[in-house]
Amino acid sequence: MTEIGVDIGGTFTDVVCRRAGAPLQIVKIPSTRADPSVAVLRSVKHMVETWGVDPAEIARFVHGTTVATNAVIERKGARIGLLTTEGFKDVLEIGRQMRQAMYDLVLEPETPVFLAPGRFRKEVPERLDAEGKVLVPLDQAAVVAAVRDLVEDGVEAVAVCFLFSFLNPRHEQRARDLIEENFPDLMVSLSCEVDPAFREYERTAVTAFDAYVKPVIDRYLERLEGGIAEAGVSAPLQVMMSRGGAAASSIVRQRPVRLFLSGPAAGVVGGRMVGKAAGTEDVITVDVGGTSCDIALIAAGKPMIRQEGRIEGFPVRVPMVDVNAIGAGGGSIAWLDGAGGLKVGPQSAGSEPGPACYGAGGEAATVTDASVVLGYLNPDYFAGGALRLDADAARAVIEREIATPLGLTVEAAALGIHRVVNAQMAEGIRLVSIRQGLDPRLFTLLPLGGAGPVHATALARELGIRRIVVPRFPGVLSAAGLLAAQVEHEVSSAFPRPLAGLDLAAVRGVLDDLDRQCAALMAHESGGLSDPRVLHFADVCYIGQSYHLEVPLDLAADDPLRALYRDFQVAHDRIYGHSTDAPAQIVNLRSVHQAGGSDRLEDGAYRANGEAVMPGMRRILLSEQTEPVEPAVFDRAALPAGHRLTGPAIVEQADTTTVIEPGWSATVTEAGDLIVERGDA
Amino acid sequence: MTDLDPITVEVLRHKLDGIANEMETTLLRSSFSPIVKEGLDASASLFTLNGETLAQAIAVPIHLATLIPIVAKLREAFPPETMAEGDIYILNDPYLGGTHLPDIALVMPVFHQGRPIAFSATMTHHQDVGGMSPGSVPTNATEVYQEGIRIPPLKLREGETFNETLVAMLRQNVRIPDTFMGDLNAQVAGCTVGARRLSELAETFGHNRLSVAFEDLLDRSEILTRQAIEAIPDGTYSYVDYLDNDGIELDKRIRIEVAVTVEGSSIRCDFAGTDDQVKGPFNCVPSGSQAAAYYAVRAITDPTIPTNGGCFRPVRLDLPAGSLVNPREPAPVNARTATIKRITGCILGALKQAMPERMPADSGGELLILMFGGERRDGSRYVTGELIAAGSGAGAKRDGVDVIETDATNCMNLPVEALEMDAPIRVHRTALRTDSGGAGTHRGGLGITREYEILDGEVAFTHRGERHFCAARGAAGGGDGAEAVSTIRRADGTEETVPSKLVSVLHPGDRLIVETAGGGGYGDAAGRDGAAVQADLDDGKISREAAAETYGLKGKST
Repeated sequence: MTEIGVDIGGTFTDVVCRRAGAPLQIVKIPSTRADPSVAVLRSVKHMVETWGVDPAEIARFVHGTTVATNAVIERKGARIGLLTTEGFKDVLEIGRQMRQAMYDLVLEPETPVFLAPGRFRKEVPERLDAEGKVLVPLDQAAVVAAVRDLVEDGVEAVAVCFLFSFLNPRHEQRARDLIEENFPDLMVSLSCEVDPAFREYERTAVTAFDAYVKPVIDRYLERLEGGIAEAGVSAPLQVMMSRGGAAASSIVRQRPVRLFLSGPAAGVVGGRMVGKAAGTEDVITVDVGGTSCDIALIAAGKPMIRQEGRIEGFPVRVPMVDVNAIGAGGGSIAWLDGAGGLKVGPQSAGSEPGPACYGAGGEAATVTDASVVLGYLNPDYFAGGALRLDADAARAVIEREIATPLGLTVEAAALGIHRVVNAQMAEGIRLVSIRQGLDPRLFTLLPLGGAGPVHATALARELGIRRIVVPRFPGVLSAAGLLAAQVEHEVSSAFPRPLAGLDLAAVRGVLDDLDRQCAALMAHESGGLSDPRVLHFADVCYIGQSYHLEVPLDLAADDPLRALYRDFQVAHDRIYGHSTDAPAQIVNLRSVHQAGGSDRLEDGAYRANGEAVMPGMRRILLSEQTEPVEPAVFDRAALPAGHRLTGPAIVEQADTTTVIEPGWSATVTEAGDLIVERGDA
Repeated sequence: MTDLDPITVEVLRHKLDGIANEMETTLLRSSFSPIVKEGLDASASLFTLNGETLAQAIAVPIHLATLIPIVAKLREAFPPETMAEGDIYILNDPYLGGTHLPDIALVMPVFHQGRPIAFSATMTHHQDVGGMSPGSVPTNATEVYQEGIRIPPLKLREGETFNETLVAMLRQNVRIPDTFMGDLNAQVAGCTVGARRLSELAETFGHNRLSVAFEDLLDRSEILTRQAIEAIPDGTYSYVDYLDNDGIELDKRIRIEVAVTVEGSSIRCDFAGTDDQVKGPFNCVPSGSQAAAYYAVRAITDPTIPTNGGCFRPVRLDLPAGSLVNPREPAPVNARTATIKRITGCILGALKQAMPERMPADSGGELLILMFGGERRDGSRYVTGELIAAGSGAGAKRDGVDVIETDATNCMNLPVEALEMDAPIRVHRTALRTDSGGAGTHRGGLGITREYEILDGEVAFTHRGERHFCAARGAAGGGDGAEAVSTIRRADGTEETVPSKLVSVLHPGDRLIVETAGGGGYGDAAGRDGAAVQADLDDGKISREAAAETYGLKGKST
């Protein structure tokens, strides 16, 4: 069996190929921004021609794409229209009236008006009450007339969001029928399907986003499906979604808003798998990229899911893996403020021109330049030797920008940059875990991205974390996450009922219906998924609260609703620090069906490359010492399973460098991952 | 390298900010009442032993620096050398450093090796602290005694032992004692986490290095703030704006006058000319006036300057005793939010003269508060509130934003679906208010129109508006924003105009139509880009008449 993961990143499209009994194969292919599917099809060509993969033997082809996210960032989605209840067309523009920039005097809009400015928003007579009963019947002629106007103005898709449609979808459904009858080429997104939950602004916004990316995603995935089929791949295309599960391309095309921010989600899913292989289910993943550091928590083997995320600062109520970005990364610029204080970030040199040591014209002192000065990075072996770093440029820029003005040596300035950025990242990680009521010291740190393992022991030390797992392939963990991901379908329904006196049969009835919908979606998936895991959840809150918690609902329990209430109290206590016996209510019910997925990246055992473990030496500076030390420098690929080394040490590999401080020791696992632990443990 | 290299100071700053954020997270996380959890009406700070702010975590600017006079008063009542580890002090009296009675402050000394080295403090807006009406913000109060229980500087906890007498007294004087104690305990948790982490920091870095670093951090923020103020041309800039009325004397506008003097790296705000204190609860004690001034200074300097006491050193306020901005006991103060917003607007308005390019036109600066209380058909009671924003002022380079929170507050509105599921009220319209944005080369932000209908029962109704009688002014030749208008259309067809503040009763079939203010425009309307005018017309932000008459749009129509 051959399984393929293809993940599009900003610079590279990462490809991972897993075959029974064979070592994992990986390759990075330059991304093709104008049409990302070109790089995907090139990767198929690479597999066939270089790896000798028979396309017909590919059983699973999972794809991670940034096309939906980028359509929003670049404002390249479709021209859409929005249809609303009479009196409410401006809900999309008014939003919740809060601002993010608290001290800005000249403000910028906080709502995604660009999706549908006023002239593209139309009202139709119809109204439901707060129980879903019809107060004003749908004016069908008005629907057709409004959509005709929109079509004449050139819209490609229409979003429909009526008040209280989450309680009664009939008006929205009828509107779609009318649109399909009269304008068969138009794409439609209904709020009762995209996000059947209360709060009209959030529901309108996510439905409009869905319509906005729908034509783009539809064309993209159709092209890709055709392309891989032409290349002889018979396995249906699967696509990674925001919640960390994959689904058939044909399903994804119907609800494309669920692709938002799926890239970081795949990395977390990959992190879960690596953690599991290293024997831990509680992991904090820290992906240190160029401009930011993405932090995510995996507790008891499950990535934290948030019910609402943000894209470009706009709220999107899409369940997604809870990834928290802080503005500190390898490209973060070190600078001096007017009082001579050393700051790092939030400005970043990005990848173009990048840090000064890239030699591409960067003139700002960055964290990566400091890493070069400190000896952490090998100028001749960065990105596997693909990019030669200019160590002199790194020294010169830190000397000019930081060391000379502060009267420090270049090394002291570089150390300072690291200390400041590490303090920032450590406080960021602490806050993410404390918000969930979790103690970071009980977690294993899993550093990702090219720069993550450079900072890992320093961060762990600051946070009191004793164990670090450096994945064997930290640079392609998102692609690996695609192979680990389960096929997943999730459907929810608003169910605003108090728990007290609630009839279990009513809950069962709704969940049965949701299960049928999930099963129908699952039926679209390729074979081998006959026995899905079925999970049920309820969003629960104390009556009067306006925030809720997702709590697992076990219908097989003795008294499922009593158990639900108890579990809600436990969750409330963990996250909010207290719970009471006050009456609670359900807000939404949710069914999740999962199938497949894997906990191991590779089928065969890890084997070192057979070359002798011959450590080199180079001088580095660690924040603990003022004098340079000369640690052993190891080639990761040569380290056999079971190999043990003690800090100070440097472990180099094509996609990252691990810095191991004194007081830490490391062991290579059977899976090839590197476990770094505090003390002699 | 000396002990106090700028790197160590910056590392410490991140840790202090991290501690303040952890305190705030703990506070919000463990609070009970929705006003804290959803309104984010709580803040956490670390203070030096001298009472200067070291680090502060806030979600709304109205909390900026409001703990400073409280810490000062508590230090005065309980000198630090008399404090013991584990002590916690409490205060809420606005005439002894507090803001208004629902805002209760707790202050805890941080100990290291048996000596106090700093303070950890939290402030929470409590859901109810007693007084004449539920929620403790009575619009019709005329004395502070009616607003709730007044807590002078007291010891809430001595070491690990709570002052049970005080706790019993507090519980007896509030309407929802369990919620009250829950929120108070969340404050204790917030203070405790701050004290613990700061004390650990002293252990790691050494107390002496830490206290030198504290001074250094304050000095740095002061230097940066002074540098920013120096960039503002010297001079005295005056501005006058008005509050509609105090809710008691409805025909009397309340004048706020400020003269902002920029001299070198200092800034002084003199409120001579401001009206005397008023009968209604719109009086603002000095801590509130300070929050307004500090917000304005933060906004005109660089918001990335670390917030600590150093930022506030260059700022002086002259607050005439007995005036609206420094009332005498026992004037009521609970509704001072509107006043703080207007003071902020006045200071920023004055600075428009100094920096016309950087400063926007006036914002609506209105946070309309509506309260509905009544009975559902099943006999259960409900109280529901709405906080509704106006339009923001246009700037030299862009239009104002429609319906957005500005200046010292930052509250969310209530979804129609949430309101209707909770109360027998129907909303017929939520719309941008056409033509409400001040005309200009850059148009002011629009206000909102919202229309409600009462479905069931008798409803006790409170309306607390602003900008009904004094518009947000345009800048650089731009037009004023529209004034706010609220109308009650009774079931029998009669109409009443709400005089900005109103306490009334609504009945089934009665409709309330509120229209909030628009922001001021910037620059001459004749200079507005024709395509922008056409887009505004197409999007319904201006009417055809305004397009033709104000902006001179000809030809093409839609």
